[in-house]
Amino acid sequence: MIEAVNLTKVYHIPDKDPGVRGAVKALFRPRHTSKTAVKDVSFAIEPGEIVGYIGVNGAGKSTTIKMLTGILVPTGGQVRVLGRDPHRERVANARDIGVVFGQRSQLWWDLALRESLTMVGRIYEVDDARFQRLISEFSETLELKELLPIPIRNMSLGQKMRAELAATLIHEPRIVYLDEPTIGLDLLVKERIRAFIKRINQEKGTTVVLTTHDLGDIEELCRRVLIIDNGVLIYDGSLETIKQRFGKYREITFETAADLNGLDVPTGADVLEKGGRTLSLRFDRTQTSASRVSASIMSQIEVIDLSLKEPDLSMVVKQIYQGGLKETA
Amino acid sequence: MALLNYPSLYWLFLKNRIKILMEYRMNFLIGATSTIMIQGAGLLTVWVIMSQIPDLNGWTLPQVLLIYGLITLSKSINHMFADNLWTLGRDYVRTGAFDRFMVRPVDPLFHLLADRFCHDGIGNFLVGGVLVAIAAARLGIVWTPGVIVYFAVMVLSGGVIFIALNLMTCVSAFWIMDSVPVTRVVFEMHEFAKYPLSIYPRAIGLLLTWAIPFGFASYFPATRLMGLETPLWQAYGAPLVAAVLLAVALAVWRFGLRHYGSTGT
Ligand SMILES: Nc1ncnc2c1ncn2[C@@H]1O[C@H](COP(=O)(O)OP(=O)(O)OP(=O)(O)O)[C@@H](O)[C@H]1O
Ligand SMILES: [Mg+2]
Repeated sequence: MIEAVNLTKVYHIPDKDPGVRGAVKALFRPRHTSKTAVKDVSFAIEPGEIVGYIGVNGAGKSTTIKMLTGILVPTGGQVRVLGRDPHRERVANARDIGVVFGQRSQLWWDLALRESLTMVGRIYEVDDARFQRLISEFSETLELKELLPIPIRNMSLGQKMRAELAATLIHEPRIVYLDEPTIGLDLLVKERIRAFIKRINQEKGTTVVLTTHDLGDIEELCRRVLIIDNGVLIYDGSLETIKQRFGKYREITFETAADLNGLDVPTGADVLEKGGRTLSLRFDRTQTSASRVSASIMSQIEVIDLSLKEPDLSMVVKQIYQGGLKETA
Repeated sequence: MALLNYPSLYWLFLKNRIKILMEYRMNFLIGATSTIMIQGAGLLTVWVIMSQIPDLNGWTLPQVLLIYGLITLSKSINHMFADNLWTLGRDYVRTGAFDRFMVRPVDPLFHLLADRFCHDGIGNFLVGGVLVAIAAARLGIVWTPGVIVYFAVMVLSGGVIFIALNLMTCVSAFWIMDSVPVTRVVFEMHEFAKYPLSIYPRAIGLLLTWAIPFGFASYFPATRLMGLETPLWQAYGAPLVAAVLLAVALAVWRFGLRHYGSTGT
C-alpha cells in the first residue's frame, strides 16, 4: 500500500552572512549547507495497518510524511502509494489520502465548522448524501454535533483536533497520515482521539501512519513501530519485540546520604544517570538481580531511599535513542 | 477536479468569504471607506495639478481622467480576485499552510486565489467606473455596443496583465519567503500608466510597452476610445499581450512549484 525504497531527503540551507552585504553576496555567490534529514529509509506498509513512526525532535518524521504525501520530492530513492508516485500524480493521490498536521489547522478560522466542512467536502467532490451520512456519523464518533455551529477560532485545542479529524476524513480516504495528532491535548481528549482512530481503522480498514511523541498513543494504537534517529531508520518491527528485548532491563534509582565519588558500579549494571547524591542504574535481570545490585551499593554508601522502575515504553525508547538497540542487536 | 466544477467551487468560496466579511461589518466598512478615500486623495492631486496647468503636455483633464479610470478599473480586478498573491510568502509558504494546498485534489493556484476574495477592490472598481463614465461623457464618447465590447475586453486584458505580473513576481516567495518587495517593485510601475505615456521620457514609454506593459491597460486603449490616431497594435494589442504574459507567468509559477517540492518551507 505504501512503499518506500531508500528514501532520502537532503535540504539545502543557504548560508547568509548578516546584513545587506551578506544578502548581496549570497545573490551572486550562493553557498549552502546540506542537511540530510532522511537517509536511505525503506519500509512497506500493508492495508489496514496502524504504524507508529517515532523519533526525537528533528529526527526526520515530518520530512518522511511530506515525501509520502507528495508535498516534497525525494532527493533519492522512491515512494509508491497505492502504486502511484505521490508527487507526480499529486491529484489522484490526494483523493486517497488524508493528512493531519497537528500543529496547524486546515479549517477556515472564521467560518463555522459546518461551513468549513462543506467547503472541504466540495473540494473532494463528496456528494450530498455521503456528506450527510458522514456528518451524522462523526456527530456520534467525534461528538461533533455541538461543534458544528462554532467557528474554529472559538474552539479549544481538543475541539479543534476533533474538527480537524472530521475534515481529514470527510472524503473517506484509504490512508491517513497523522503528524502529531495529540500534541498539547489533555489525557481525556487524547483517549477520545485514540478511540476514534482505532474505530475508523477497524470499521473502514483505513491505513494509519502516526507520528507522535506520546508513547501512550503508540501503546494504545500500534502493533508496529518504525523508529527513526537522525534520518536513519533504526527499528522496524513489532512493539512487542522491543518491549521484550528491553523488558529484561530494570531501572533502579538510589538516593544517598553522602556524595557518590569513587563508587564501584556492581557487575551487570550500567550507569544511566549520576547526580550529586542520586544514582540511576540499569541492570539486566537475566544476569543479576535487584537485591544483588542494591546490596553492592548499600555496602559502599548509606542509601536513604531507593526505587525500582518497571520497563515502560518511554524507558525502552530512551535506551534505543541512546544507541541501546545497536548494542543488543 | 474537473475544470467544469471550478466555477461553482469558486462561488462557494466567495459566498463563505462574504459571510465572514459580513460578520466583521466594521472592517468591511472601514476597508471600503479607506480605499475610496485613498482614491479620492489620488484624484484630488490630479485635479489640483490639472487646474493649475490646464493641460498636461496638451492633454485635457477628461482625457487624463479616462486614462486614470481605465488603469483603476484593471487594477481593481487584480485587487478583487488576486490580492492573495501578495501574501503567498508571508501567510502560506512561511507558515506551512501551502502544504495543505499540495494535498488537496484542486489546483494550488486556484486554491490560493479562491481563498481570499478581496472586497477592498470593490471600492476601486466603483471609483474607476465613475471616472470612466465622467470622462466619457465630457469627451463625448458614445457607448455603442461595439465600444462597450471594446472597453470590456480592454479592462479585462488590463486586469490579466496586472495579475500575470503579480503572479510572476510572487513566485519568488518559494525562494525568499517574503515576496512583497519584489512584487512591489514591478507593481508600482503602474503609477506611470495613470497618465499619458507621451509625457514621459522615451525610456519609460518603452518600459511600459514592452517590459512591464501597463500601457496596454490604460494609455493605448484610452487614445483609441478618444478617437485619437492609435496604431493598430496599440489599440488592439492588449488581449494578446495579456495572454502571452499570463502564459509566461503560469510557466514561472509551475517552475516555482517544482522548487517548492524540493525545498518545502
Ligand atoms: N524546509 C526545511 N529546510 C531545511 N531544513 C529542514 C527543513 N525542514 C526540516 N529541516 C531539518 O530536517 C531535519 C528533520 O526535520 P523534521 O521536521 O523532519 O523532523 P521531525 O522528526 O518531524 O521533528 P519534530 O519531532 O520536531 O517534529 C531537522 O534537522 C530540521 O531542522
Ligand atoms: Mg515533525
